[in-house]
Amino acid sequence: MGAPNTLAIALHEITRELFFIATLTVLGAGFSLYLGYAQVPWAEPEIAAGEIQFADARVLDVIWIDARSIEEYEAGHYSGAIHVDESNWDSGLVVLMNRWLEAPRPIVIYCGSKDCKSSYRLADRLRQALPEGEIYSLKGGSEAWTK
Amino acid sequence: MDKMKCTSCIVLLVRLVLVAAFFLAALPKIQDPVAFAISVESYRILTGQAVLWVALVLPWLELIIGLGLMIPKIRRTSSLLIILLLFIFIGLHASAWIRGLDISCGCYATESVSSNYFLLISRNCALLIAAVFVLARDWRNHA
Repeated sequence: MGAPNTLAIALHEITRELFFIATLTVLGAGFSLYLGYAQVPWAEPEIAAGEIQFADARVLDVIWIDARSIEEYEAGHYSGAIHVDESNWDSGLVVLMNRWLEAPRPIVIYCGSKDCKSSYRLADRLRQALPEGEIYSLKGGSEAWTK
Repeated sequence: MDKMKCTSCIVLLVRLVLVAAFFLAALPKIQDPVAFAISVESYRILTGQAVLWVALVLPWLELIIGLGLMIPKIRRTSSLLIILLLFIFIGLHASAWIRGLDISCGCYATESVSSNYFLLISRNCALLIAAVFVLARDWRNHA
């Protein structure tokens, strides 16, 4: 009868100590976050792989690609942007390749909004067609430069 | 009586070695969690948010259980957690060694880029034996 009691007491004490250690650990981790030493693990990353911010793209000498519909492109596009989308892939690619071969530089693709995915699809396709190219999707889409 | 004193001195010495080992391991990671996150990621076991969680929480846990060895109230559980962590570290190093990864250990601030796995595992085994010794003493004294 004594042994199970001793074990139960030991388990109870260890649980209590674990709780104490866990509390101190959480407080310490909170302190690191408060001081800005550590990155917040649950925060959405500012930028994902293959994305670029407008502020960064603007200061680089990049080739802009407008992946929206031709109507949207004709209604207004970023200065110097080439229109390439799924419907004119072949002809658009030729124009792009000519410009890229003149002076190889990063290529930035944008679509209509921060939720659109066509620039990401086009970037994937372009990375296969042009493996040597440095290709990005613009974070925020065309909203990033129209703001 | 002298024998008891001698044993107590040895236990204290071993305890201090463990405290120093965990305290010195934790401080640089707390100061630079980004560098530690890169080391964690290089083991290719965790990715994304899990890496950031480990880089945030593990150094504090190491610090608290390291210092906890000197605090009678949490001594036993600190020893238990140290033993558990050392088993995990030994497993991780063995796994990286088997997979032929050439990585930084991420254990202490001054370590070289490439890890000598044999030394790492030996060191952690020595710390493991020390932790088991301290736990056995604490458990007996507590009972």
